[in-house]
Amino acid sequence: MSNSVAAQSFDAVREVTGDSYKYGFVTDIESESAPPGLDEGTIAFISAKKHEPEWLLAWRLNAYRHWQKMAEPHWAKLRVAPIDYQAATYYSAPKRQNAPKSLDEVDPELLKTYEKLGIPLSERAALAGVAVDAVFDSISVATTFKAKLGELGIIFCSFGEAVREHGELVRKYLGSVVPQGDNFFAALNSAVFSDGSFVYVPPGVRCPMELSTYFRINAAKTGQFERTLIVADKGSYVSYLEGCTAPQRDENQLHAAVVELVALEGAEIKYSTVQNWYPGDAEGRGGIYNFVTKRGACRGDNSKISWTQVETGSAITWKYPSCLLEGDNSVGEFYSVAITNNLQQADTGTKMIHLGRNTRSTIISKGISAGRGQNTYRGLVRIQPKAENARNYTQCDSLLIGPRCGAHTVPYIEVRNPSARVEHEATTSKISEDQMFYCRQRGLKQEDALSLIVNGFCKEVLKELPMEFAVEAQKLLAVSLEGSVG
Amino acid sequence: MTETTQTKPYIDAFPAARGGAGDRLRPQREAALARFAALGFPTRRQEAWRFTDLRPLERQSYPPSAGGAAPAAALDALRLAGATHRLVLVNGRFAPELSDLAALPEGAWIGPSAQALAERPALSLLDAGEIDGAQPFAALNAAFFTDGAVIALAPGVVLDRPVEIIHLGRAEAPVSLHLRSRIELAPGSRARVVESFAGTGPYWTNAVLGVELGAGATLEHVRLQDEGVEAIHLSLARLRLGAGACYDAFALTLGGALSRQDVQVELAGEGARVGLGGVYLLRGTQEATTALLVDHAAPGCTTRELFKGVIGDRAHGAFQGAIAVRPGAQKTDAHQLNKNLLLSRRATVDTKPALEILADDVKCSHGATVGDLDEGALFYLRARGIAEAEARRMLIEAFAADALDMVEDTALRAHLAGHLQRWPGLRESRET
Repeated sequence: MSNSVAAQSFDAVREVTGDSYKYGFVTDIESESAPPGLDEGTIAFISAKKHEPEWLLAWRLNAYRHWQKMAEPHWAKLRVAPIDYQAATYYSAPKRQNAPKSLDEVDPELLKTYEKLGIPLSERAALAGVAVDAVFDSISVATTFKAKLGELGIIFCSFGEAVREHGELVRKYLGSVVPQGDNFFAALNSAVFSDGSFVYVPPGVRCPMELSTYFRINAAKTGQFERTLIVADKGSYVSYLEGCTAPQRDENQLHAAVVELVALEGAEIKYSTVQNWYPGDAEGRGGIYNFVTKRGACRGDNSKISWTQVETGSAITWKYPSCLLEGDNSVGEFYSVAITNNLQQADTGTKMIHLGRNTRSTIISKGISAGRGQNTYRGLVRIQPKAENARNYTQCDSLLIGPRCGAHTVPYIEVRNPSARVEHEATTSKISEDQMFYCRQRGLKQEDALSLIVNGFCKEVLKELPMEFAVEAQKLLAVSLEGSVG
Repeated sequence: MTETTQTKPYIDAFPAARGGAGDRLRPQREAALARFAALGFPTRRQEAWRFTDLRPLERQSYPPSAGGAAPAAALDALRLAGATHRLVLVNGRFAPELSDLAALPEGAWIGPSAQALAERPALSLLDAGEIDGAQPFAALNAAFFTDGAVIALAPGVVLDRPVEIIHLGRAEAPVSLHLRSRIELAPGSRARVVESFAGTGPYWTNAVLGVELGAGATLEHVRLQDEGVEAIHLSLARLRLGAGACYDAFALTLGGALSRQDVQVELAGEGARVGLGGVYLLRGTQEATTALLVDHAAPGCTTRELFKGVIGDRAHGAFQGAIAVRPGAQKTDAHQLNKNLLLSRRATVDTKPALEILADDVKCSHGATVGDLDEGALFYLRARGIAEAEARRMLIEAFAADALDMVEDTALRAHLAGHLQRWPGLRESRET
């Protein structure tokens, strides 16, 4: 049986590989771009374009000076083709940026793009009750449900707008979780970030809807440098959804986003991501480089931050959504599904830094490798000396489909307090022939059986996703592994 | 040749220590020294040395030892009951008066490395890795080594009694002991080896062991590291297992101010099996690292790892275990577990059990835990009238002794259990 199954999986993988990227198209929009290259002039250009206050320009320049002194990190288990930072364009905006006050004013080309993606903005907003802050290239073009959120005092807007309208809030929290010099890509982002989202939830407010942003990368050779900042004030709650697809193209595109979350006393932030950027073709040409710094700080007592991610796209993923558990009794969670197929590489995981008393963290990571994909879980659990009675539970499971893929697990556990309880377990296996046989003998097709088993394997993570995303995520899993049998 | 303040004393000491013209390894030694100079001391920025604090080794230099002597009484606590083949080295040199190699069966060659160099030219004590590898201390060892133990068994030879290798360090002033040993078991042969390290004074043991197991050969290997309180112990074992070979190792780590053991196993033949077990018991300001790498290069091999740590006072324990499965190494079955018990507020532990898997039909898992004594279990014992100190002792001992089950031989297990029970940390109060 094993031979035939292996052969089938080979075929299946080829089949999957043969599928062209469903969302591969380029929208033709006149861009007003900065000339390629990066120096202090570029940064001043970006800042001037966005009418930013002086402090932010100074902040960007400071980050740029940090960045110049830093070296690209190479510790991850990734093979990255050299990146020419001077060849990229650091600013590109759809031309009619002044106008859109409603959806009618938005460039019809843009709206078509979203339709092709299957997210007709207006309908989706109306039907699903989701406020969408859509980012096309580097500028937010439409924000819905603003008024409704405004009644509750919730601020949900583009980063640029937040800088203009809520400068004091942005200034207070920007860089407070991910400092400018945190790492190479965060420093680059801090210097040249284009736009992104800003959320502020006032004390005691429970945000009544899921907040959502769809990111797209579009203009050729445009690095995309999103900056997201979410602040949940005392006793508030917010759930944020992030999803992305990108058009097909041949060159590697660098995406270096920074996401900062701040949860004050008793606040809870739930951040969910479905990432489906173009992964490159079967030979590994093209595809997005996804080098993202995501970190949340549980600043106040009894606060909670929960990350959920489904990573199916990108040629290379380098991403470690982390939690700084500063407040007593604070909780950090990380739920992740990462799929690598063809020549995709993913090095992803989390850091849970326990600083306060009775802090708890949970890490559930599911990696699936197919084709020649390489999938690494890399995580750190650190219990600092003052973190009395800290608890961590970590489980990372890997599933291998086909003989040429790889799955790696690199957990770091560093304990500085004896009252801690830290547990880590990891398993790696292929889909068991018993499970497959059991499903087949009940009349399931091989593909359906695979889908069933993979979805079961990922269940603990998928159930953490909000309804809006759960459906899309399951579809993505099925598409990514269509027909493969291990 | 680049020099740093750390490497210079060793480079300068080379001509005097190994200047003899008669040494047939002279060219390799010089190349290895150059390698050491090029690599320098490892830093914590290097991933493999991330958890190991080498400052005690860097604070002063340890010139190569000129030899020494030890009284027979120094062996008392280390010797096994019953008959053995015994090889004793004092300060890195064979001590024939303390050794007993009279009753060797036919097909078995057991003796000091220096003698093996002369009598067995085919034996490869040095590894190509010393000249281009990434292990600075192994390169330094290659440049300076004086002696060690060699065990070579002909096909099918089964040793009737265990081989005891005892390394003693005796130092008034800082010295380094560079030991290089080799175990070669031809197909179908079988040996049980117990290596012990002990001593007094500020010495640095820098031991390198190479092991080659032929098809179906079996080696049981117990290491007792009970070095002196001021001692530094760095050891590297490199093993290669042929088809169906079996290596069962157990390491009890008790002594040394700073210690680190690296074990690197290549499972080169189909169906090879490796079991690595160990316990590290640390107190005071002791620093100990266990770094394992098992490379599944052939299909159908099995790995079992179980390491338990008990860490008290301000000691620091570290475990870095990696299991790699190469493409094509199907039907690999590997399991790794590291459990740590922290006894004091300032005790710390780092653990990194890593898996790197490039084949699909495998069963691999690992686990790691860190915690303190279970309050519930303590309460249970106290409720039955057992004093707290005694209850704690029982629980700690039980936690550690669990791993001893990996040692199959009952006499050997009892020998190790004796050392474990004498660990002073068992009788110390909680907050020290």
